[in-house]
Amino acid sequence: MNNVTIDRSRGMLVVEPRRLNKLWGFVRRIEVSLSQVRGATHDPGAAQEYKGVRAPGLGLPGHKWVGTWRKDGERHYWNVKGGRDVVVVEVSTPRFNRLYLSVEEPRKVVDAINAAIAHQN
Amino acid sequence: MGRPRRFESSRVVAAAAVLFDSDGYEGSSMDRLVQVTGVHRGSLYATFGSKRGLFLACLRVAVTSTAPSGSGLLLVALGELASRDEEVRAICAEAIDAWGDQAAHELGRRLLARAGLMKGNE
Repeated sequence: MNNVTIDRSRGMLVVEPRRLNKLWGFVRRIEVSLSQVRGATHDPGAAQEYKGVRAPGLGLPGHKWVGTWRKDGERHYWNVKGGRDVVVVEVSTPRFNRLYLSVEEPRKVVDAINAAIAHQN
Repeated sequence: MGRPRRFESSRVVAAAAVLFDSDGYEGSSMDRLVQVTGVHRGSLYATFGSKRGLFLACLRVAVTSTAPSGSGLLLVALGELASRDEEVRAICAEAIDAWGDQAAHELGRRLLARAGLMKGNE
């Protein structure tokens, strides 16, 4: 589970993994400049897809995926538990191309992110 | 950026538009969009940024065409997104402006036709 917030004063999207996941060492707090965010989607089906190669990460199929996965030359950050409340954030940063995040209120998070970046297109 | 995918954007937008028209915005899952467009999920995200980005691409095409199917997407946009999405609202406003005074009547007529409640043809 993640806390996803928008820091307007700094123009940043901030992803803070909740307590336990941080201890696993595979995930970290992530900050992405809003100018590098391309969109957000509530995508319950995303967790069922083939993810690529763990690099590094921990996957408990059907349950939890935590860490970095490489697929098709891209790097994806996963911090997902279950599958229903998954938000997919498309980014273009040196480190990641996409973030897969479990959040409490997917629609609210998606709307907030898309609204925050709408003005830059 | 990843392995480049080759697909024709306009064909993908057209296929997605059909789904958005029939199932609505929230009702169209990424699973279904992948299915109807034949494009991998990752490629859709890479190209359009999000489901919203794909819908916007569909909406922009719809409001510039005079095809009857175009109004379906406008109704979906108005009903599901315009109230909470400034960009969608702006596109809808521009489309409606083009109809002038008859806009509300025209939209009502199309909505009823879509619901199967119009007598005669649309």
